[in-house]
Amino acid sequence: MSSQVTLPRLGQGMETGTIVRWLKSEGESVEKGEALYELDTEKVTQEVEAEASGVLLKILAGEGEEIEVGKPIAVIGEQGEDVPEGEDVTDGEAAPEGEAEDPTEVSEDDAQEEGSPAPAREDERERGREEAPEGPSEPEPSVESTNGGRIKASPLARRIARERGIELSALRGTGPDGRIVAEDVERASASGALSAAPAAAGRAPSGEVEVVKLNQMRKTIARRMTEAWEAPAFQISISADMTASIRLREALLAQVKEGGVRPTYSDILTKVVALALMRHRDVNAHFAGDSVKLFPTANIGIAVAIPHGLVVPVIPGCEQLTIPEIAAARADIVSRTREGKLRAEDLDGGTFTISNLGMYGVERFTAVLNPPQAGILAVGAIEERAVVLDGDFEIQPRMDMTLTIDHRSVDGATASGFLATVKSFLEEPGLAL
Amino acid sequence: MPELSYREAVRDAMSTAMRRDDDVFIMGEDIAEMGGSMGVTQGMLEEFGPERVRNTPISEMAIVGAGIGAAIAGMRPIVEIMYQDFTTLAMEQIVSQAAKHRYMSGGQIKVPLTIRTQGGAGWSPGAQHAQQLEAWFVHVPGLKVVFPSTPEDVRGLLWSSIYEDNPIVFFEHRTLYGIKGEVPDEIQPIEIGKARIHREGEDVTVVATGRLVHESLNAAEQAGEEGISVEVFDPRTLQPLDEDALIASVKKTNRAVVAHEAVTRMGWGAEVAAIVQEKAFDYLDAPIARVGARFAPIPFSPVMEEWVVPHAKDVLAAIKKTVGKE
Repeated sequence: MSSQVTLPRLGQGMETGTIVRWLKSEGESVEKGEALYELDTEKVTQEVEAEASGVLLKILAGEGEEIEVGKPIAVIGEQGEDVPEGEDVTDGEAAPEGEAEDPTEVSEDDAQEEGSPAPAREDERERGREEAPEGPSEPEPSVESTNGGRIKASPLARRIARERGIELSALRGTGPDGRIVAEDVERASASGALSAAPAAAGRAPSGEVEVVKLNQMRKTIARRMTEAWEAPAFQISISADMTASIRLREALLAQVKEGGVRPTYSDILTKVVALALMRHRDVNAHFAGDSVKLFPTANIGIAVAIPHGLVVPVIPGCEQLTIPEIAAARADIVSRTREGKLRAEDLDGGTFTISNLGMYGVERFTAVLNPPQAGILAVGAIEERAVVLDGDFEIQPRMDMTLTIDHRSVDGATASGFLATVKSFLEEPGLAL
Repeated sequence: MPELSYREAVRDAMSTAMRRDDDVFIMGEDIAEMGGSMGVTQGMLEEFGPERVRNTPISEMAIVGAGIGAAIAGMRPIVEIMYQDFTTLAMEQIVSQAAKHRYMSGGQIKVPLTIRTQGGAGWSPGAQHAQQLEAWFVHVPGLKVVFPSTPEDVRGLLWSSIYEDNPIVFFEHRTLYGIKGEVPDEIQPIEIGKARIHREGEDVTVVATGRLVHESLNAAEQAGEEGISVEVFDPRTLQPLDEDALIASVKKTNRAVVAHEAVTRMGWGAEVAAIVQEKAFDYLDAPIARVGARFAPIPFSPVMEEWVVPHAKDVLAAIKKTVGKE
């Protein structure tokens, strides 16, 4: 009895995914739990495991194809078994979205075990709608209006909007039933207000222009950074004497066992920031339009560079963890990020983000908000500087930090208080006790 | 240019072909002495004699069957089915014989047969004499289906049909026989599968057939007074369809209305709508509207008949809805 492999929903807000690579070919046998394919979602590229054992009878979705959640992508069955008719990814009717989530549709042979991904994640998703902090994965705003429904727009209007980079959600439809028609988009385009990018009238460069299509991650970064730009953010900076933190790190390193993870300044900073957030809860927040969500725990996102992109995996509950525990969690999550083995849940639920470019020698910089989080801390390198103390110069290891904060929910005094606490904890870690 | 009625234009195409070509002859019920129940073949018996203008028994199956035989044997027969409602009696011959022989013989047999028939509402012929059944025939591979709306088109297209090597179902509309129009001095053959744009417009394409071409032109005129620019597109040939011209027109206007007298349900217009959305989806600024008869037998009562079949006002309403100016 064959079973269909459908595209799973790996996190709240995931609507589509792109098969990067099939790790098994047609005719190959597959064990349940074995990696079957690599999937590029908006957030991350990850391996997805087979949910049934058998032979990969047919691949329905090719590499590079963008597939909707719930659509069939492959068939697993017994050797020599015929692939049932109608199992074609292009045939939307044969497998309506959400089929995999309906337990009555699952045959006995491949019945989901308790805790297997699809239903569990579906539950998670339901819960997530109510209470979980929204991760960096809201659906495309262009198909989502404020009331949560699909935007009504004619195909022509959609095409023009797409071509000119106009956000349909910002338009009001004047067609029947409020449908956005071409004229509405033309009007918006003429006014120029909503156009994303005016065509650069520069001189044509010599040589060939390389056009790199955005992958899912790049699209998400572009969309979210543009969203972040809408927030009225401001920056404040502070410099900390790192002498005590350096001593603390040396003490921690001395305790590292053979093969253990060596704590970094980032790990100390993560812990310090988490504790400071617990004392300044207004900063450990999401701005949610008509409300501000304050979180009871510090789930710190760490910006991690990967080739051609950036992801922000989250270490949950940092205020509860020791620095060695944070180091272990960080090492695990960074290595999985670089190997493309992040799970969707690794990216969900962040309440605050730290971006550290110190290792590149950057002295200070400002970070762009990671909405809906209210704040992000940009951290530079530790360097020796001459500091004037009591009318004399002293050489100190200093580190600059710049906090970007969403002014809609946090004001300057609150932000300054938080930053001063971070500074004091770095300079005198005992104060954090 | 001379002016001919639609009826005279049909007759002129047949008579000219018969004068020029001995292989062409006509056959049907009451077409000889009586000149046909619609008067289309009047005078043809006198000119061509009973060998070439042949009355038949009242058997549509026999009429089409004999036509197929003559066509296979090398003639170019034109057979007349008095009302298209009666083609149902000849369906086996049309659908499973005429349409299939060329294919099944691997091209060794040709069936250059023209089946002329007429029909349509508007004069209270009643439910059994008023149907528009073109959708039945466009569904059959092997048949070409022609439905001209003007004297010039009916003459040029009937000429091309007579000289076409495949079977043609040729629809005439009863209420169009009396309309007059200029025609070229000499018959100009019109290619089967080529549409005609009767009126150019910018805001919406009305794809119309037969009588609805005239209703649509009327509606377009009224819409123009309200500032809506309507393109009236007459495919003239329903099968094959001039898809290139159709899609080009819709890409220009971004909106489409399909209008025919037959019922909309499973009608030819549904196929047009499907083709348009398939090939011009990203150009559409509104849902494609369909205008056609209500899903009911055509009533005998003139008031009821008027209510069931579409007219200019129905096309106008669809135009306005489509351009968002209801």
